[in-house]
Amino acid sequence: MHWFTLLAMLSTASAGTIVDSTNATVEANNPQRIVTVAGNVSETVFALGVGGNVVGVDASSLFPAAVHQLPKVGYYRSINAEGILSLSPDLVIATDSAGPPAVIEQIRGAGIPIAVLDSAQSFEGAQRRVTQIAKLLDRTDEGADLTASMATELSAMSKPETAPRVLFIYARGSGTQNVAGTETAANAMIELAGGKNAVSEYTGYKPMNAEAMIQANPDYILFTQRGLESIGGLEAAAKLNGIAQTPAGQNKKIIAIDDLLLLGFGPRTSQGAIELSKALQQ
Amino acid sequence: MSGSRHRNPTPLFLGMAAVLLGVAGAAVLYGSMPIPLTSLVSIAQESIGVEPSHEVPPGHRYIIVHLRLPRALFAILIGASISVAGAMMQGLFRNPLADPGLLGVSSGAALGAASVIVLGFSLPWVPTLTLPISAFAGGVVATLVVMKLSLRGGTASVANMLLAGIAINAVCGAGTGLLVYVSDDEQLRSLTFWTMGSVGGASWDNLPYVLALAFGPALVALPLGRSINALLLGESEALLLGVNVEQLKKLIILLVCIMVGTSVSLTGMIGFVGLVVPHLCRLLLGADNRRVILGSMLLGSTLLLGADLISRTIVSPAELPIGIVTSIVGGPFFLSLLYRSRQRGIF
Amino acid sequence: MLLVEHIHHTIGTTSILTDVCMGVAPGEVVALCGPNGAGKSTLLNIASGELTPSEGLVSLLDRTLEEWPAVELARNRAKLSQESNLTFSFKVREVVEMGRFPHDTPHAHDDVIETCMERVGITELSDRYYTSLSGGEKQRVHFARVLAQLTDTSGQPKLLLLDEPTSALDLLHQEVALELAHTLCKEHGFAVLVVLHDLNLAAAWADRIVLLKDGHVHHSGTPAEVLTQPILQTIYGIDVLVLSHPNTGRPVVTIDRAR
Repeated sequence: MHWFTLLAMLSTASAGTIVDSTNATVEANNPQRIVTVAGNVSETVFALGVGGNVVGVDASSLFPAAVHQLPKVGYYRSINAEGILSLSPDLVIATDSAGPPAVIEQIRGAGIPIAVLDSAQSFEGAQRRVTQIAKLLDRTDEGADLTASMATELSAMSKPETAPRVLFIYARGSGTQNVAGTETAANAMIELAGGKNAVSEYTGYKPMNAEAMIQANPDYILFTQRGLESIGGLEAAAKLNGIAQTPAGQNKKIIAIDDLLLLGFGPRTSQGAIELSKALQQ
Repeated sequence: MSGSRHRNPTPLFLGMAAVLLGVAGAAVLYGSMPIPLTSLVSIAQESIGVEPSHEVPPGHRYIIVHLRLPRALFAILIGASISVAGAMMQGLFRNPLADPGLLGVSSGAALGAASVIVLGFSLPWVPTLTLPISAFAGGVVATLVVMKLSLRGGTASVANMLLAGIAINAVCGAGTGLLVYVSDDEQLRSLTFWTMGSVGGASWDNLPYVLALAFGPALVALPLGRSINALLLGESEALLLGVNVEQLKKLIILLVCIMVGTSVSLTGMIGFVGLVVPHLCRLLLGADNRRVILGSMLLGSTLLLGADLISRTIVSPAELPIGIVTSIVGGPFFLSLLYRSRQRGIF
Repeated sequence: MLLVEHIHHTIGTTSILTDVCMGVAPGEVVALCGPNGAGKSTLLNIASGELTPSEGLVSLLDRTLEEWPAVELARNRAKLSQESNLTFSFKVREVVEMGRFPHDTPHAHDDVIETCMERVGITELSDRYYTSLSGGEKQRVHFARVLAQLTDTSGQPKLLLLDEPTSALDLLHQEVALELAHTLCKEHGFAVLVVLHDLNLAAAWADRIVLLKDGHVHHSGTPAEVLTQPILQTIYGIDVLVLSHPNTGRPVVTIDRAR
């Protein structure tokens, strides 16, 4: 038996316990009924091989396909205590974006262990979440393997020679198109993949403005899959005001990547970066 | 509508109270978690010191005592409160279409809430109460500004209140819009959900505030029925009848501001209840405000309890914001009320 | 009973009333007449206490209006306005009941309400919705309400103020309304002050007429004394003929037309 495994077995006393982002000590004991409240959390639990023990997910959980058969406890920003409790969970894993805060307290009050993880949208954040969830589920081996392979994939990724200018558009139907500035998940992914956000003048999302788009001068325009579909696909995107006048529009460099893969910052973060990076070299 | 029904309202009130109790029972009995009647009975037995007839699983006890019961009480107190506020506003403006939003209290509260959600600040000493306190403050400030703008020489002109209310609503709306503009996706979602309302924040800890600040003023409003009737004749008529009109108007505004400010700050915006409930009461009980105020309390509680029950069970284990339920039911209902009353020529 | 002393009232720089003095005794019907803009309604509002005059005193039963507590005042003086904007679905009986606001004897209410409705002749309208009534019927409902307001067991004389109560009424109901006011006055000792546009109604029902023009009291006296050709020419600027009613002997005023 590998000495590492022996050591892990000897430390089962602390396996299943973490200190979460609210400084609470959360102890899970081989949980059989897990509720996950965040897309990347759900993904991680499945990736660690414990997907069979998940009894409920939130509305933003879209991967893997198995989650679609599971009961939905609502959108992570507005969950309700009784709904989650009705699934008789023995562990709830959420991120600090989950709310309202009263509900987190109510679940704690009911005596159910609830781990509130840091929701940092970065590669390191994704790895940290994997490690913490692995610890809770007593799958530290699998966790270590996963974070290791994430790192390996990322370092093996070939980035474009010069960082192209990339502009991310968050679209929800033809009425809403917002462009990502700095301090956004999209910004982090673009940089991870070796690109440069064409927009650096503001933080957060701002509604699209044709003039500003042209000024930003992007080489590529990035959408999420669902976002692109919601405005009518590639054809419609190319016709959006301002896009046609940018290098990206003229060269038909419009990229669409799966929502969760691109912005989830879950276990597939490196795969998302690789896919984006490839697209930026075409 | 026969005269006799308007003569003696007591049987009707008793009936409404019975329906309220029934719906309250259902609200405690039903939810995402299936809890058998035996558990409910046993918990009741425990609470009065009697040996319970069945073993109660601990999860059941927590859900009944800490989740459903406070939530039901919240719905009762807040339903009563916003309905009475609606009835009083309709008396103040002498218009059956008035609702508390006219004074700017809801949009002010929304601005207060949006500030916290988007700007993310936190109050010292009471960080978890930041959102409700900010929303309440927003509502109160907006109403004070409306009052200030409509006061002239000690007289608060109702026409000026209307105009000032429109102006303040516009300003608060613009402020909230600006915050929406700078918000990120998650903040926007939070704000949207807040706007659609929820009684889910109910707990034994904040129930005293609701009792004192939302329900308390409703009790104060009960004896004002006769005065409000007189006010409906017109301000000069009421004055001639011996009503202290200016004092009454200011009292109404104060009570409405506190009731609605508290309700909105704790539950977000719950639409239509303040408008539809007093109307329904007038249809059942007549226009006499002594009956309408009491009736609104009973009916408003019942309706909000029912709406919450639906919101908790219809997409279980998720929850539909209660404002959606009240609007989906309230909207068409209100339209049918308007249509029928236009035919009869009365409201 | 009602004493109006040296009332001056200005709004901004416009003088509405200048040095108006007049009074109404119990058992007396006084009509306030005059051209448009003479200040009749303003004077009535000052007499009722709704409006505070810029200068001057109004006393009721030897107490100034300021000295009267609001509710007690409401039991002793009532005003019937020209119009009412009640848009809620009150029943007629409920509107009459509102007149009982200044009284807190709940058990007597029902009897008083029934009596007042009978007096005014609207008993059969009791269960109808106020908003479904005609203008004249609504007027009578308010009459009953005002009556209910003034009904008590104190035996004190009451002041009844009427602001153009007949402008919306037809020939029959004009008579009915003023006859009722007159009866209340003579049989129950009410002091009645009524603003009337129609000089002939004033002539028929008033004991005294106070003629206002441009905020001044021009003349005050019995109908026969006040309604004369020269006085009316000065006040209204038009030539009139003053005839005599064949039954009552009271003046009847008509325009001196050529054809």
